[in-house]
Amino acid sequence: MSLLLHLIALAGAAAPLQDPPPAPEAEKQAEADKPAEAPKEEPKPAPAAESPWLAVVGGDVYTVTGGVVRGGTVLCKDERIVAVGSQVRVPEGARVVDARGMRVYPGLVAVNSSGLVRGSGAGARDGFDPFSLNLDLALTGGLTTVQGGDTIVKLTRGTLDGHLVGTGPWVDLNVSPTTSSGRRELAARFAKAREHLRARRDWRIATELGKAEGEEPKPEGVDEEALALLEGRSTARFQADGQKDLLAICDFLEEFPLQSVIFGGREAWTVAGRLGRTGTRFVLTARDKFWADDTLNRASGWSIENARILWEHGVEFAILPEQAGVSTGGIIGRDLMTLPLEAAFAIRGGLSQDAALRAITLDAAKVLGIEDKLGSLEPGKDADLIVCDGDLFHYRTFVQWTVVNGRIAYDKQKAPYFAHIRPRPEASAEEVLEAIRKAAQEQAGEPSEPAVEPAADDPEKQADGR
Amino acid sequence: MILSAFLLALPQEDAANPAAPRGRAEVWRLDRVETLDGDALENVTLIVREGAIEQIGQALIVPDGARVRDLRDSGMVASPPLVLTHANFLIQDQRGSGNASRWRAVDSLWLAEGWEKDLLREGVLLAGVDPPGSGLPGRTSVIEAGGGWPRPQALVNDLHLKLTMSASPAAKEVVRRALKEADEAIEKEKKAREEWEKARADWVNQQKEKEKEKAEKEQAEKQQSGEKKEGQGGKSARAQDEEEKPPPETFEPPAFPPDLQAVVEWVRQERLAQVWISSAADFVHWQDVLDERELPYELVLRHALSQNFHEIAEQLAQAKVRLDVPAIITFLPFTRIRANLPAELARAGVERLVLSPAGDSLRELRDFRGAVTRVVSEGLDRKRAFEAITLEPARALGQEGRIQALKAGAPANFVVWSGDPLDPMSRAMLVVKDGKVVYDREKEEEEEARR
Repeated sequence: MSLLLHLIALAGAAAPLQDPPPAPEAEKQAEADKPAEAPKEEPKPAPAAESPWLAVVGGDVYTVTGGVVRGGTVLCKDERIVAVGSQVRVPEGARVVDARGMRVYPGLVAVNSSGLVRGSGAGARDGFDPFSLNLDLALTGGLTTVQGGDTIVKLTRGTLDGHLVGTGPWVDLNVSPTTSSGRRELAARFAKAREHLRARRDWRIATELGKAEGEEPKPEGVDEEALALLEGRSTARFQADGQKDLLAICDFLEEFPLQSVIFGGREAWTVAGRLGRTGTRFVLTARDKFWADDTLNRASGWSIENARILWEHGVEFAILPEQAGVSTGGIIGRDLMTLPLEAAFAIRGGLSQDAALRAITLDAAKVLGIEDKLGSLEPGKDADLIVCDGDLFHYRTFVQWTVVNGRIAYDKQKAPYFAHIRPRPEASAEEVLEAIRKAAQEQAGEPSEPAVEPAADDPEKQADGR
Repeated sequence: MILSAFLLALPQEDAANPAAPRGRAEVWRLDRVETLDGDALENVTLIVREGAIEQIGQALIVPDGARVRDLRDSGMVASPPLVLTHANFLIQDQRGSGNASRWRAVDSLWLAEGWEKDLLREGVLLAGVDPPGSGLPGRTSVIEAGGGWPRPQALVNDLHLKLTMSASPAAKEVVRRALKEADEAIEKEKKAREEWEKARADWVNQQKEKEKEKAEKEQAEKQQSGEKKEGQGGKSARAQDEEEKPPPETFEPPAFPPDLQAVVEWVRQERLAQVWISSAADFVHWQDVLDERELPYELVLRHALSQNFHEIAEQLAQAKVRLDVPAIITFLPFTRIRANLPAELARAGVERLVLSPAGDSLRELRDFRGAVTRVVSEGLDRKRAFEAITLEPARALGQEGRIQALKAGAPANFVVWSGDPLDPMSRAMLVVKDGKVVYDREKEEEEEARR
């Protein structure tokens, strides 16, 4: 019985037909509509959509952190990835995405987006429209996580569950090279905070040694933001494009080492070495033009090689299009719907494919401080991934599926937006028959491939063992 | 004993002999009747007596002395009257967006002379009205046309609790807070009741003990007669009794604040909430506010020409609640792809479906039957659509007794149309309420011509 069902499921997975199979609810409905007298030939299996398992099988998996797995499987349970590899057993009844001949990447992450986050904090959840056009368009572009204002959200289509990821990614600081008083004032604030931290540290050491005098120093008149930054509890954000501004930030960061991110950075390539030593991160727009000033006796202006040069000096960055929103207006190809093309422009300037991929996945997650949860395809991370019909950075490539929290949030052939452009090819009769034959062989106990897995029933265990 | 048996037997005898003459019969002869009780009937005799349909069928014997109205060979069709769930062009008021659930829709009625004609002309006999505003603006009411002016015959002043929901923190907060406050008020009442019960039980016990003491003392008195002490003791005990006020015999619950009363009734499942939503997202947020809580509600879907309820058609069917939907052909968002939401919801398995005009204005009411026709021509089952503008909205207004399928025993409330009621070209010629004609188009036109 189950043998046959499994076989059918496999055949279904192997043959993505033009007409999507009816939704399980519809099937149930059809079942209910049948006259009651009709004897049921076979009891129905549990509807596939209810399975907590999602298996993306057969694609080249770009894990970001663990290289590329050719013809691999990404197995997810509920909203987590449980296994990534070339020999992962797919549990019976799992929802299967046939990614053969395609590429699997982590879901894309956009910093500082606009038009996708409605409200702030818990309000963003209460104001979220899980069916909005902007959301759908962002999903067609492969985005799964975006930050807007002080809130980070997942693009959970159709549900509020798991929408909110976090709040308050950073503290804005302003280091201006032209007003020295402002810089002095800022430095004084941080110096005071650092003094307090030192006094407190000394007091604690003394207490441990039994030599303490007086009480623990109180943070009176000490800036709380500065304290949080110096202790590494939050991230500083700067806005700077010109070399002068960037150097002023370097000065500051060299005196007060902080976790930081700089938005802009058009002339960053001219001082990449120094920036790299401060450990700061960037949010760049690869095609942001900024003309050279020929009255200056130094390198200036924008460079197509900006991202490449920064990368070579150890600077991590997220890439952002010129318009960080999703809209049907504006210049096509310069908004979040085509985020990979923005990164492709950095590739044109010499950046490696791997680094470009990081810039819109893991490193963007780092800028947001959520790299422990998402940004790469690893067991334990959130089940956010995209399946593309080609190289992510090729203009011809479409996202075929977007998975958010283990749910298929976008399927190109089912959504109305791009289904008609180069429709997903249908499997030929030979392919379907081959898949059925293969499945039958496997069921009969003749593995068509070398021994796959120990006969463990719990794929989670396998994932842990990896 | 004998008398009571006689009293019981009386109505039984009455029921056993329905032909017993009780007032003059009115007989309607019609080409066609959309009874909504099985198939439509052709060549029909409809016998009405004392405001109810006595008999309906083909080839019935006309009772003696009956007044006969012969409308055969005119192409006229009779059907149950239409019921409008939201006749809000009769409402004129301004209200905010918080919890104002103390208000009732009848408080905001603004009726001009001849207001009933607007309804009757469209074949509408019953209409629901809603309190204006958003959030928790108040409770809905039901009025009946054909009752007179200036005050309408309000059938129900205080029906459902209206509630609007949208994808916004403020809208959700209004409902969440009201629910929280209602829960607290109920808890408070429960505590008060427990205190009262305790006080009452204590008091009853005290009384018993006192009586026991008294009895013991009396016995002691009898045994040691002649001593004087006990006289004093008895007196003080009596004085104590007088001092102590006994707790009231029945529990008097503390009054709820006026804006919480209806919410408390809703939480106690004694009242239905009428939830207004305008997009699929609103429903998702409504489910989020409910948070698995089982509270009785029905949904009123109000959307623009483009809507996305198809996204949640199955969830709506699974909710197993009544859906009030505008009868319009819409577009899927940002496309020119036509969508027939009522038909789609019926396909998805929604059982209780009410069709409403696309908007609250009188103009929309005048276009209503045409709109229903379009929805039918593009896929909604005709009988389903007919029920969705007559019987089902009557149920939504709790008036399933007033508006029924046309069969023996039902109240004689019906409309005679100049043709097929679902043909927008045909018009309501007569509206009959409890057997009496309350609207006659020919008469009206004659009067207008004379003016």
